[in-house]
Amino acid sequence: MSDSIIALLLNGTWETIVMTFVSGFFGFLIGLPTGVLLFLTRKNQILDQPVLNRTLSVIVNVFRSIPFIILIVWMIPFTRAIVGTSIGVSAALVPLSIGAAPFIARLVENSLLGLPSGLIEAARALGATPLQIVYKVLLPEALPSLINAASITLITLVGYSAMGGAVGAGGLGQVGYQYGYIGYDAVTMNSVLALLVILVFLIQFIGDRLSKHFDHR
Amino acid sequence: MIELKNVTKTFHQKDRIVSALDDVSLKVPPGKIFGVIGTSGAGKSTLIRCVNLLERPTSGEIIVDGKALMQLSNAELATERRQIGMIFQHFNLLSSRTVFDNVAFPLELVGTPKAAIKTRVLELLQLVGLAEKANDYPASLSGGQKQRVAIARTLANNPKVLLCDEATSALDPATTRSILNLLKDINRRLNITVLLITHQMEVVKSICDEVAVISHGKLIEQGSVGEIFADPKHELTKEFIASSLHLEIPDVYQEKLQKADNGSLNPLLKLEMTGKSVNEPVISEVSRLFDTNFKIVSAQMDQAGDVNFGVMLIELSGKRENYDAAIQYFISKHIKTEIIGYV
Repeated sequence: MSDSIIALLLNGTWETIVMTFVSGFFGFLIGLPTGVLLFLTRKNQILDQPVLNRTLSVIVNVFRSIPFIILIVWMIPFTRAIVGTSIGVSAALVPLSIGAAPFIARLVENSLLGLPSGLIEAARALGATPLQIVYKVLLPEALPSLINAASITLITLVGYSAMGGAVGAGGLGQVGYQYGYIGYDAVTMNSVLALLVILVFLIQFIGDRLSKHFDHR
Repeated sequence: MIELKNVTKTFHQKDRIVSALDDVSLKVPPGKIFGVIGTSGAGKSTLIRCVNLLERPTSGEIIVDGKALMQLSNAELATERRQIGMIFQHFNLLSSRTVFDNVAFPLELVGTPKAAIKTRVLELLQLVGLAEKANDYPASLSGGQKQRVAIARTLANNPKVLLCDEATSALDPATTRSILNLLKDINRRLNITVLLITHQMEVVKSICDEVAVISHGKLIEQGSVGEIFADPKHELTKEFIASSLHLEIPDVYQEKLQKADNGSLNPLLKLEMTGKSVNEPVISEVSRLFDTNFKIVSAQMDQAGDVNFGVMLIELSGKRENYDAAIQYFISKHIKTEIIGYV
């Protein structure tokens, strides 16, 4: 393998890591509050807002049903307006974050649904306000399961970013696509695959360790 | 201290309406321990949740420490709830926090300074006897210890009232007793009014001053524990009292028990003392008056309020011709007497 290919692979790995983690971060920034709101507005929950809940739920479902590759293309005008370009890593971050957010929202909602309902009741009985319930009860108690949700999300984002590579997002996806698919270079393509597998394993491993560390149940 | 006036709660389930509470009124005087007893599904859980409005009644009034809770805004209600402690059957401790941080939780909610939290939490853990567990997580505690942490947590705000939602139902008998003793101790020392719900007559008998019986969302009987035990009106109340006294005939007796007397056997009597029974040393009186002897086979006697009650299994011997008169004497003293058989 030539030095230039190795440099290409290293650069691709770095770009994939950046895309995965930065869009994961922005995805959580949108998805976490949405998921909490989805949970709180459910029937018989502390906010109990059926109309708001259904509206949010519909929006989440709409975005979740758009295939990611279509979402990238569909979002190009919006992406241009925000980052000024539609190709490269920073352009990919926009659709990746938007694509991950509704997925994260559902995962967060599910994590919160898994908590014993008595915890909220006890906090209310102790005089906690809804905001205090969220950041002192729900989020800390759901932390191990939220970390698992983050691992799942990041792994999904590794896949999404690779898909984005086919339409100019950069990263390992683009290297694999250009050199493997278009250039018939089996060694480079398999190296890309191996790097992606290692990245996914690492994310899962670290996620599991962190989740276990914070789990005192 | 706590007053419920004509409280009604209905739930909509699909297309039918379920009435969980039906015109419930009760009054808990300051410093007293008031028990509500009922079978599962009778509405007792809904009742206690209505007191701090975890469940909002459909109609009626809830007054705690002179404040009508139904009229308060959400923010005012959150403040008022800090005066109303509550403990639960399943403890509801935060698993992500240590024992110390669980007790600190209500203090954090009101923005207590760190140093003050530390003093108060250690003081509370001392009170419930768990000072050495401060840095453990709830998962490593036994059920009784978890309930002690929950009690410490709810006392942190110095509540005037304590609500206990089946607080001992998930605990074994010995642990139940120690938790009940702790509650009684708290009630006396800190002068906290307690309202508890339970399905165990044990609980009512051992710590309550007053009791109400709930069935199908209605309070069917209420009064001081002494009164209710002395003279239960309702069939369900009688059942609850009977369930707290269980007496079985020992196997040895069961084997040789005969239905009829062949002329040489001794009758085996079951005596039931209720609050109506005359408070006199009846057994030794009968023994003396009728020249008879008693062998106590098994007995369970108890005291609730100022009433002595219980059941006793005795073997009667001595002057055979006086047996009937002896039994009649018991009956005249309002002791329910039954001949189980002859041994």
